[in-house]
Amino acid sequence: MFGLQASSAAASWVVGRMGTDAHLYDDPEDASIPALLDSRFDADRIDALKRLLALIAQGVDVAHLFPQVVKNVAAQSLEVKKLVYLYLLHYAEKRQNEALLSINIFQKDLSDINPLVRAWALRTMAGIRLHVVAPLVLVAVKKCARDPSAYVRKCAAYALCKLFDLLPEESTTLEEIVDVLFSDNSPGVVGAAAVAFKSVCPNCLALISKHFRRLCETLPDIEEWYQITLIEILLRYVIARHGLVKDSVMFASNLSLVAQGGVTVDTMSYTQPTSVGGISGTRPNIMLLRHYIEEHPGCFDREDDKFSSPSVTTSTNDDVAILLKCTSPLLWSQNSGVVLAAASVHWIMAPVEEVKRIVGPILFTLRSSPDAAYVVLGDILVFAKTAPLLFAPYDEDFFICSSDPYQTRALKLEILTTIASESSIPAIFEEFEDYIKDPNRRFVADTVAAIALCAQKLPSISSTCLEGLLSLVFYESSITNSVHLDGEDIVLVQAILSIKAIVKIDAASHEKVIIRLVRRLDKIKQPAARSLIIWIFGEYSSVGNLIPKIIPPVLKYLAWSFAAEVLETKLQILNASAKVIIHSAEEHLEEFKRIMAYITDLAACDLNYDVRDRARFISNLLPCGKTSLNENDSTCQSHSQDIRKELADHIFGGKIPTTSHSDSNYRIYLPGSLSQVVLHAAPGYAPLPKPQSMELIYHTIKLTRDTANSSESNNSNAESESSYESGSVYDSESEGGGLSDKDATGSSQYPNDDGHNLHHRQDNQEAPLVHMYDDNVDQGQTGRNVEDNLSSLISTDLTELMSKSALESWLDEAPALPAVQESMQKSIARVSFTNRSFERKPKLHTLLDPSNTSGLSVIYAFSAEISPISRLLVCIDLFVENNTTDQLTDIIIKSEEASISKDEMDQTSEGSASIPTLAPVEEIRSLAPQQTVKMILQVHFHHHLLPLKLSVLCNGKRHPAKLHPDIAYFVRPLPMDLNAFLCKENQLRGVFEYARRCTFKDHLQKHGCTEESTDHTDKNLLVAQSLASKVLSNANVHLVSMDMPVTFSIDDASGLCWRFSSEILSTSNPCLITILAEGHTSGPLDLTVKVNSEDTVFGLNLLNRVVTIIE
Amino acid sequence: MLQCVFLLSDSGEVMVEKQMTAHRVDRAICGWFWEYVLAHAAGDPSKVLQVVVSPTHYLFQVYRHGVTFLACTQVEMPPLMAIEFLSRVADVLTDYLGDLNEDIIKDNFVIVYQILDEMMDNGFPLTTEPNILKEMIAQPNIVSKMLNVVTGKSSAIGNKLPDATASFVHWRTTVVKDASNEAYVSIVEELDACVNREGVLVKCEACGDIVVNSSLPGVPELTLSFANPTIINDVRFHPCVRFRPWESSQILSFVPPDGQFKLMSYRVKKLKTTPIYVKPQLSSDLGNCRVNVMVGIRNDPGKPIDSITVQFQLPPLIASADLTANHGTVDILADQTCLWTIGHIPKDKAPSLSGNLRLEEGLAHLHVFPTFQVKFRIMGVALSGLQIDRLEVKNTPSAPYKGFRAQTQAGRYEVRS
Repeated sequence: MFGLQASSAAASWVVGRMGTDAHLYDDPEDASIPALLDSRFDADRIDALKRLLALIAQGVDVAHLFPQVVKNVAAQSLEVKKLVYLYLLHYAEKRQNEALLSINIFQKDLSDINPLVRAWALRTMAGIRLHVVAPLVLVAVKKCARDPSAYVRKCAAYALCKLFDLLPEESTTLEEIVDVLFSDNSPGVVGAAAVAFKSVCPNCLALISKHFRRLCETLPDIEEWYQITLIEILLRYVIARHGLVKDSVMFASNLSLVAQGGVTVDTMSYTQPTSVGGISGTRPNIMLLRHYIEEHPGCFDREDDKFSSPSVTTSTNDDVAILLKCTSPLLWSQNSGVVLAAASVHWIMAPVEEVKRIVGPILFTLRSSPDAAYVVLGDILVFAKTAPLLFAPYDEDFFICSSDPYQTRALKLEILTTIASESSIPAIFEEFEDYIKDPNRRFVADTVAAIALCAQKLPSISSTCLEGLLSLVFYESSITNSVHLDGEDIVLVQAILSIKAIVKIDAASHEKVIIRLVRRLDKIKQPAARSLIIWIFGEYSSVGNLIPKIIPPVLKYLAWSFAAEVLETKLQILNASAKVIIHSAEEHLEEFKRIMAYITDLAACDLNYDVRDRARFISNLLPCGKTSLNENDSTCQSHSQDIRKELADHIFGGKIPTTSHSDSNYRIYLPGSLSQVVLHAAPGYAPLPKPQSMELIYHTIKLTRDTANSSESNNSNAESESSYESGSVYDSESEGGGLSDKDATGSSQYPNDDGHNLHHRQDNQEAPLVHMYDDNVDQGQTGRNVEDNLSSLISTDLTELMSKSALESWLDEAPALPAVQESMQKSIARVSFTNRSFERKPKLHTLLDPSNTSGLSVIYAFSAEISPISRLLVCIDLFVENNTTDQLTDIIIKSEEASISKDEMDQTSEGSASIPTLAPVEEIRSLAPQQTVKMILQVHFHHHLLPLKLSVLCNGKRHPAKLHPDIAYFVRPLPMDLNAFLCKENQLRGVFEYARRCTFKDHLQKHGCTEESTDHTDKNLLVAQSLASKVLSNANVHLVSMDMPVTFSIDDASGLCWRFSSEILSTSNPCLITILAEGHTSGPLDLTVKVNSEDTVFGLNLLNRVVTIIE
Repeated sequence: MLQCVFLLSDSGEVMVEKQMTAHRVDRAICGWFWEYVLAHAAGDPSKVLQVVVSPTHYLFQVYRHGVTFLACTQVEMPPLMAIEFLSRVADVLTDYLGDLNEDIIKDNFVIVYQILDEMMDNGFPLTTEPNILKEMIAQPNIVSKMLNVVTGKSSAIGNKLPDATASFVHWRTTVVKDASNEAYVSIVEELDACVNREGVLVKCEACGDIVVNSSLPGVPELTLSFANPTIINDVRFHPCVRFRPWESSQILSFVPPDGQFKLMSYRVKKLKTTPIYVKPQLSSDLGNCRVNVMVGIRNDPGKPIDSITVQFQLPPLIASADLTANHGTVDILADQTCLWTIGHIPKDKAPSLSGNLRLEEGLAHLHVFPTFQVKFRIMGVALSGLQIDRLEVKNTPSAPYKGFRAQTQAGRYEVRS
C-alpha cells in the first residue's frame, strides 16, 4: 500500500512538472544555446532564451552570448522580446557597446501601435542606462509622457527616475516632464509621477503647490505603493509651506488631554514642563520635533519662539485640513505601509484630540500583517514614549505571544513599561509573572529589568515588586547552585540589579529587603551576583535602623570568605568595608578596623595586582590599626589626615547621582522610515523640511545678514571671545554631570547598570574624553552653532582658550574641587585655522632623472591650484632644470596618447576616455644651463589611477616618462563650516563610512629639536599643526576644524580631532575626512582616520592614501 | 528603492536572482544572509527579523512555505513598502502556481521572472494587481501545459495591454469572459486567545476576513451590509471598497475584482469565552514532572468542533518523556515539540493527555514552563457573532447566484502552564 502511495505521489509529481520549464532549469546546457539562438524558429529561440535565464538564475555568467541575443530584439514574437529584454537588462551595464546595437529597434518599437510594445521598449531602453543614448531616451520620454495609453505614461514616469541618474544636468527638463505627468487625469500616472518627483527633484516642493488640492483628492484612488510615496511628499510640502500645527502632539503642553475614559495618572512622570522652551511645550515633544526636523542644526535656538508658536491650526488652514481629511480613510488600507504613512501625517499634523484615531489602525496592523509587526512596533515605541496615555488602554495588544521573535518581545516589553499606568499595572504585572517562566532566559532577564523600570515609575508598587524579585532571587540561586544552566546567571544578576534600582529610590524604607538579600549571600555562588549584593551592603550600610546591627557578622563573613572569592568580588569587599568604616559609629569602629586590617593584609598578598593596589590605596586613605610609626611630624600628619578624610569621604561616601532614564541617547527618525528601524540615518534619509521654509526665504536671508553683522562685531574684540569660551566650559559642565562624576571618584557607584562595570573600573580613565567629546558634538551642536562661527578666526594659544577659573585652579595646584576638574576634563576647544595658516610642502617626485636624459631633470609635484580650463583637471607643477653646461632647446612635453582639445575637457564621457589625457602645454624654446623653469601641467585622469604616459622631447631626442597620479589630488577642497560638515557626515553613515587606525610619529622629532625654545607653547597645538600641515601639503582638501581637548594633563592628546572636507573631481560628491587622536604627545599617537563618501570605492582608496600620508 | 530580489530555498540556495536597478547587487549577499540565518536563528529564516542590516546593504526578507524572499537596498526607503511588496510577490506567486515551494519555483522559473519583471520596475512596484497580471502573463494550467507538451509552443505573454491599466478600477479587468454569474461571500475568522498560568482568560479576540469569490460579468456594483457592524473594532479594506459609505453608514460598497480576494479584514475584541477549554497541569518533584492536560467543550457553538490539536514545546533539560492520551495520538516531533492530535471531542469521555517527564540529573524542579498552542476549526459559525445582513448586486444583466459561508479556526490560541 505504501508502495502504491509512493508511486502515485511520484506520478503526480511528474504530471506536475510536465509542460513546465523544469527540464530547462535542471539542465540548461544540454543543448547548444548559440545554435538555438540563431535558429529560424521562435520556439527554438524561446528555448535558448529560457536556458539563458535559467543560467542567470543559477548565477552563471552568460554575458559572452550578448551579441547573439541582442540580434533577437528585432523578433516579432512578444515572448521572445520579453525574454530578450530580461537578458538585456541583466547584462547591459557590462556590455555597453553591444547594447548600443539594440537602440534602433527600440526606436522603432517606440512607435509601434501596441502600447505594450511601446512601454516595454521605453522601460528597457531607459533601463540599460547608456550615457551615449541618454539624450535619445529623453526625447522618447518626452514623447511617451503624452502617449494616449496611461500605461505608457506610467512607464515614462519610471523612465524619468532612471534618466535622472544619467542626466543630472538636465534636471530642469525632467522637472517639466514631472509637472506634465502630475497634471495627468489618470490616477495611476499621477502616482507614478510622485515616484518620479521623489527621485528627480524631491526638494522642489514649489512644483506641488499648484497640484496640491488635486493630489490630495486623488490620494484614495491611486495604488497603494504610490500612496506611501505621495503622502510623504504632501506632508513635506505642507510643512515647508505652512509650518507645523499649533495644537498637534508636537506642541501639546499637556498630553493627558489625549487620555479618554477617566484614567488617573500622574502626568508628571512623563511630561516635565520645561522652562527652557518658554511658553508651551514639553521637553520630550520639542525633542521629538528636533529629531524630525534636523536639517539645520542650530536654527532652533535662534528661532525658538517661532517654533513654539506656530501660526497654523487645522481649523484655519485648508491645506492642512484637506491633507488630514484625505489621509484619514487610508488608515483602513490593507497595506501596512500606507497605514503607517497616513498615521505619521496625523501624528505630526493632527490636533491632539484627533491623534487617537491612528492608534486602532496601527495596532491592527500588528495582527493583520505579521511581517510588518517588528517595523511598526519600533514606531509605536516612539509614539508611546511621547504620548503614553494614547496607548495606555491597549496594553493587551502588547502582550507577548510565544511565536514572537526575541527582538519583537524586547520592543513589546519596552512599550509595556512605557505605557504602564496605575490602572493597568496589575494586569501588566500578572503578565510579567508569567513571562518569568518562559524558556527564553534572555527575555526573562529583560522582563526582570522591565519590572524595575515600572517600579521606579510607579513607586506605589515597589514593595510588591521587591517581594517578587526577592523570591525570584532565592529561587534562581537555588537552581543555579544545583545545576549549571545556560542563561540562568543573567536572570539572577538582573534580578539583583533590579532590586538595587528599586531600593535606590528610598533605601531606608526597604532596609528589610537589603537585609534579606545580604543574608542570602552564602547561598549565592554567582560572582557577579555576589559582588552586587556586597556593593548594596556597603552602600547602604549606614541607612536605617536595622542594617547597622547586622554589619559585624556580615563583615566577619566577608573577611572569612575573602580568600576564596574571585577578583571582582574581592574588590567589592574592599570597597564595602571601606564604606562601612567611614560611616560606622564610634562604638564599633575599633572592631571594624581590625577586620579591615585583616582584609587589607590578605589583599596585600593577593596574586592580582588590582587587588593589591586597591588594598594599598584603601589602607593609605583609611589607616586602620597599625598606623603611624613616625609620630614626629604630627602637624603634617594631621594635615594629611584631614585631606585623606575628605578624599575618602568623597570617594566612598559620594552620593549616587540620580540618573533619570533619559532618552537623550535614543535616536529618533521619521516614523515609517528605514532609519527608524535600523536606528541610524540610512543614506538618503532626509528629515522634514524646515517649517515654513518656502514662505520665509527672504526672511532667512535677512536673518543671516543680521547674524553676520553681529559676528563681525564680536570678532573685533578678543575679550568677548574669551568670555564666550568660559561660558562654553560651564555649558559642557552642566551637560554631562553624571558621567564625569563617576570618573572623578573612580568607584563603582553605577546606578542601574549591569555587572560589567565592575570589571572595568580601571579602564574608565582612558575612555571618558572621547565619550564626552561625542556628547559635546551631538548635544551641544545646536547650542554652539552661533558660537562656533565666532571662534573661527581665533588665537592659536591654548592658554587663551581655557577659562580663567580653570586655569587658576590648575596653576594653583591645590586639590581642586572635583567640579572644576570635571569641567576641565570635558572641555573641548575648537580651534579654527584657515588653510593658509599652514605652509604646504608638497612632495616632489622625479619624472626624468638627469643621468638618463643627458642632463635634463624634470621634477613634478601635485598642486592645489584649480585648473582654469576645467574643474575636472588636476594641476601639476613641473620643474624643468638644465643640469648640463650647454643650452637645451625645444623642450616639448606631450602625452603619448593624443591630447584632448579644449571643448572635450568638460565632458565626463564614459566610453573611450578612461586613459588620462593632457591639456596642451607650451613648449620651452630654450633653457640656459642651471636654469629652472616652472610649468603647469593640467591632466584629466578620468578618475582612474592609470599613470599618464608622457614623452619629453629635448634637443630632438625623445625621453619616455610616466607620471603617476595621486588619489589625494582627485579631490578638490570643498569649503564648508563645521555644522555643514557634521550634517553631511550624518547623512553619510553606515555603508558610506570607512575607518582605519594608524600611528603618528612625526611630532616626536619635532619635539626634539624645538624643546628649549618652545617651553610655554602647547604640545598639543604643535601636534595638531604638524599633522594638519602634513595632510594639507599632501592632499587637496580643506581644513574644516581642529578640535583640541582642554585637558588637565598637558601631555594628553586624546580628543584631538581634525576635520577635512573635499569633493571628488569627477562627480562632485563630497568626501569627508575625520581624524581622531588618542594617546600622549610624548609618544606615538594612535589615530583613527575616517572617510565618509558616497563613492565607497574611492573613499576606501582615499582612506588608505591618507593613512600612508600620515604614517 | 529595491535594488534586487532573490528567492532562496530552504537550504539557502539562490533559486532566482532578479536585478532591479543598474546598481547590481552581487549574489554573495545571499551567502552573507544565510550565514546570518544560521548564526541567529539556527537555519530557520522564519525566525529572522524582516529587516536585517548587512555590512553593505539593508536586507528585507519575508519567509513563506520554505521560500525566502530577499530584497536589498542601500538607501532610505519605507521598510514597510519593501516588506509588503515581498509578501505581495509571495501571494501572487502562490496564486499563479497554486502553491509555493522550492520545486514549484524552479519548475516555473520563467513565469517567476516575467512576474517579477512586471511587478517591479527600477526598484519600485509597477503592476501588482493579480487580475491585471493574469491578463499580461498567462497562468500556467493543464491546458497550456498539455499544449506545450504536444505542440511544443505556447506563449505565456499576453499580446495586448490590459485595458484596466488605464481605468479608475485598476484592480479589475474590464472584460470578464466566461463569467458564471455568481458571488460567494465567506467569513473566515481566527480566534486569538491567551490563558495565563492561573487559568484566567487574559485576552480573547476574533480576527476575521471577508473573502469574496466573484465571477460576475461586466462592471457589477456590489453592496454588502452587516446586521451588527457596531461590534467591529478595527477594519481594513481591499482598495476596491469605497470609504465614504462605510464612514457614513457602515456599508461596504465596491466593484469587485474577478476571482477570489479578501474584501475586508476586521477584529472584534474582548470576547467573553472560548469554545473549548485546555487545562494543563505540570507538577514537578524529585526530578520528575507529571503532566496532565484536559481538553473539553466549554461553550458549545452549536456546530461540531473538529481538527483539534494541542501542541507544546518540551521544556529544555528533559532526559525522557513518556506521554499518553486517552483519545487521539501523541507525537514528539524532531524539534522537541509534542503534538497531540485530538480531532473531534467524543461524546462519552473528556480527552486527556497524561504522562511523566524525567528531568536531567541534578534538577529537582521544573523552572520553565511550556506554552500550549491550541488549534481547532468550526465550520458554519463566526464566533465573533458578526452576521451578514445582505448582499446587493447591481449592474448585472441577470440576477446572480449568491452564497454565504462562515468558518472559525484558532489563530494564536495560547494556554500557559
